[in-house]
Amino acid sequence: MSSSSPLLDIQNLQTHFGTIDGVVRAVEGVSFHINAGETLGVVGESGCGKSVTAMSILRLIQQPPGRIAGKILFKGTNLLELSEPEMQSIRGKDISMIFQEPMTSLNPVLTVGRQIGETVMLHEGLSAKDAEQRAIEMLTLVGIPAPARRVREYPHQLSGGMRQRVMIAMALACSPQLLVADEPTTALDVTIQAQILELMRDLKTRVGAAIMLITHDLGVVAEMCQRVVVMYAGRKVEEGSVEEIFLNPLHPYTQGLMGSMPKLGSSLHESGRSKLTEIQGVVPSLRKPIIGCAFASRCPKVTDACRQMAPAIEEKAPNHLVACHYAPRAAAAA
Amino acid sequence: MSTTTLPPDGFNAAPKLADVLPPRKERGRIGMFIYRHPTIAVGGFMVSLFVLMAIFAPLLWTVDPTALAPARRTRPPSAQWWFGTDMLGRDVYSRVVYGARISLIVGFATAIISAVIGLTIGLISGFIRAVDAVVMRVMDGLMSIPSILLAIAMMALTRASVENVIIALVIADVPRVARLVRGVVLTLREQPYVEAAVAAGTRTPMIIWKHILPNTLAPVTVQATFFCASAMISEATLSFIGAGTPPIIPSWGNIMAEGRALWQVKPYIVFFPAIFLSITVLSVNLLGDGLRDALDPRMAKRI
Amino acid sequence: MFAYTVRRVIATIPVMGVVALFVFSLLYLAPGDPAAIIAGDQATPEDVERIRASLGLDRPFLVRFLEWLFRVLQGDLGVSIFTNLPVAHMIKQRLEPTFSLMALTLAIALTFAIPMGVLAAWKQGTWIDRLVMVFAVLGFSVPVFVVGYLLAYTFALQLDWFPVQGYTPIANGLGGWLSNLMLPAVALGGVFIALIARITRATMLEVLSQDYVRTAKAKGVGQRAILFVHALKNAAVPIITIIGLGFAGLIGGAVVTESVFAIPGVGRLVVDAILRRDYPVIQGVVLMFSFVYVIVNLIVDLLYTVFDPRIRY
Repeated sequence: MSSSSPLLDIQNLQTHFGTIDGVVRAVEGVSFHINAGETLGVVGESGCGKSVTAMSILRLIQQPPGRIAGKILFKGTNLLELSEPEMQSIRGKDISMIFQEPMTSLNPVLTVGRQIGETVMLHEGLSAKDAEQRAIEMLTLVGIPAPARRVREYPHQLSGGMRQRVMIAMALACSPQLLVADEPTTALDVTIQAQILELMRDLKTRVGAAIMLITHDLGVVAEMCQRVVVMYAGRKVEEGSVEEIFLNPLHPYTQGLMGSMPKLGSSLHESGRSKLTEIQGVVPSLRKPIIGCAFASRCPKVTDACRQMAPAIEEKAPNHLVACHYAPRAAAAA
Repeated sequence: MSTTTLPPDGFNAAPKLADVLPPRKERGRIGMFIYRHPTIAVGGFMVSLFVLMAIFAPLLWTVDPTALAPARRTRPPSAQWWFGTDMLGRDVYSRVVYGARISLIVGFATAIISAVIGLTIGLISGFIRAVDAVVMRVMDGLMSIPSILLAIAMMALTRASVENVIIALVIADVPRVARLVRGVVLTLREQPYVEAAVAAGTRTPMIIWKHILPNTLAPVTVQATFFCASAMISEATLSFIGAGTPPIIPSWGNIMAEGRALWQVKPYIVFFPAIFLSITVLSVNLLGDGLRDALDPRMAKRI
Repeated sequence: MFAYTVRRVIATIPVMGVVALFVFSLLYLAPGDPAAIIAGDQATPEDVERIRASLGLDRPFLVRFLEWLFRVLQGDLGVSIFTNLPVAHMIKQRLEPTFSLMALTLAIALTFAIPMGVLAAWKQGTWIDRLVMVFAVLGFSVPVFVVGYLLAYTFALQLDWFPVQGYTPIANGLGGWLSNLMLPAVALGGVFIALIARITRATMLEVLSQDYVRTAKAKGVGQRAILFVHALKNAAVPIITIIGLGFAGLIGGAVVTESVFAIPGVGRLVVDAILRRDYPVIQGVVLMFSFVYVIVNLIVDLLYTVFDPRIRY
């Protein structure tokens, strides 16, 4: 891990929800960091706590019924200790967010220009007129044709890809240092997906923002990210550089994820790979405390030890953290 | 790198994390029901109480609610006359207890009859396009007449009786049920499983019976509960303005109508039936709210 | 936009037609002999015949309906059996108090109900929310005339803040008009506040759970702007719809409220007409109020386009 202080440092994040059926532990003790300017991928199946982690960073979780604990240090400040107005001045300015559903993430009764302009009016105190001007600039930047006309239009007059461009324009309007992108391309056509990713990569270098990219698409991760965090059942099970994770996955779950992908690298056993192309079983319920390893019920290598004792997350290879009792320690690190 | 049964470098347990929220309280089955559906529990309990009161009115220390006694007119509430006596010397307590019968009969009858008729009309017009156009025009027209006025107009042309009050209120409510059911039918018809049944050649009555009817029952039950509550208010309102049940019958509306002339000096004659009516309607409304939340979580967000 | 307006206006014509037909046919649909019922128990056979002829019950239905409809379209609602005055004239004289009462009620209801509903949705699950919901259920459960008597007893009889009953025309000064109407309007407003507060809360809850509200929050928009700019405008269509539909209850409630507070309005006219079995007056009032109700809902339909840019069909 780098010794210089990271842009965002999440320590022991727990996000729980009190429901009528009991407590749901959506995120349970997750720690990771993002350095300035880097792109971190967060992967995992749906329901593994990726989105809740992202929402927790911006404190978009309703409290109650939710509850966030742990530390979220942004440039050294614990976001969880800020007052709501202080948090508001960070949202959209220092940290902004793009959501999965471009069709529903824009307000249908406000014009596109109004929605982009609102951010700069709030954070930079621009007048309505200047804000509209900025909105036009932003629309140009994200490659929307005829921006001066589009700025007065409503979301329903735009296509899905265009709406996601608007979302990106909105998120980048104040040049944030961190962009949290929650499945930004999942709802889009494949061709549009590539365009949006290209746009994000391009703008990232221009604005100089770090990106936390949440996705279940390993192809997107390989294309966009420097480092990867793998999540399972609300926990971080593995973390490392893209090369390490793709070429040398150590956690059985990560191996399973890779096994369901077209062949990448050659580190998997022939016999193991054919078994792991499909991960058996279902994700455990998050309503009950999980004793032992969260992946135990689906793990091909499970032992009694796994069922009784949750594995600590340990650095098993340089810059490669794994939470598995049986993950072999790389020779160099040992 | 082979899969051994022993970890290569010993076990290291992850640190234990404390829960950040208090655990759920353990509850028994009844406790859980009350916790989940408090309004059904409270509303249902209170409605049952009023129903029992209406059924067992003669046993509840009442006297003949129509017995006149000019000698003891307008006595205030006392140990002998719990709610006092009215201007004809009748025991207000007995009249109020018996009055529950009229309110509940009107409420339940209106709700059930309009639900059944409305359900039938809604199902037919949801399935037969030719009927739909005409019937829904008529329903729209009927719904455009404020229901109390519709009832007033009808009552002005018929002899005052409990049955006629029920008929008048049913006519006002039927279009609303029919509209609701028709809406549900039109949505359901688009559902893949219904389309599949149609494609498989299932006959229309069978489709209605197996796929449509079960899905309309929940919203209709909820709406019927609210109609029951509003019918009780409407009956009282109609009686109050002289267009309801015949004055001889001790309904809560009639007791209040009779107390009207004296309300400034003898407010208790109006007060007691008003309290009973309000609490009964409140109970039914609570029950309706609870049923709506329980039966149709999506509808809970509407109205 | 223009096409939409025209279409909505045209759509009200068949509705009004059905209303007219139904109100007219009641005379024929009613069980028993309406002429005899209207004439009352002490009437002579001649009286019954006279009423039968004046109602036109002796002539064929269709002829009579078309004749009647034609006259109604010209503003002729027939003649009162009791006073022999034209019904349209009698109604016109009584319009001011009724519309004053409804307008004041509407103003009070909107002023209180919408903030109440927004607040309840924002503070969902807290005691504020519960308080609003309790008030809403009570509003639906306590009849208007009971609330009326309660208010009159407390604020007029006991505290003497307002007159017990009566009406002062607005031409005689706003103060008298207001002080006479305040209690009736609050009494009548109870149900309406309950209705609007409930739908506002329910719709706001739905809107607040939408993705675009999350987007607004993620941009750093403050709570107040989220509620009143981002959410309320999206909630507007269901809210104004319920206001339009609730107008029927407002009309029905006005009839009763006018009786309680002795306000010489159209509602009072119809209640007096019930006691006298003056059917032409009842018919005229029902028709007039139904017309008002249809027009209100037409206005609501047209307002949709103001709040939601997607509605343009």
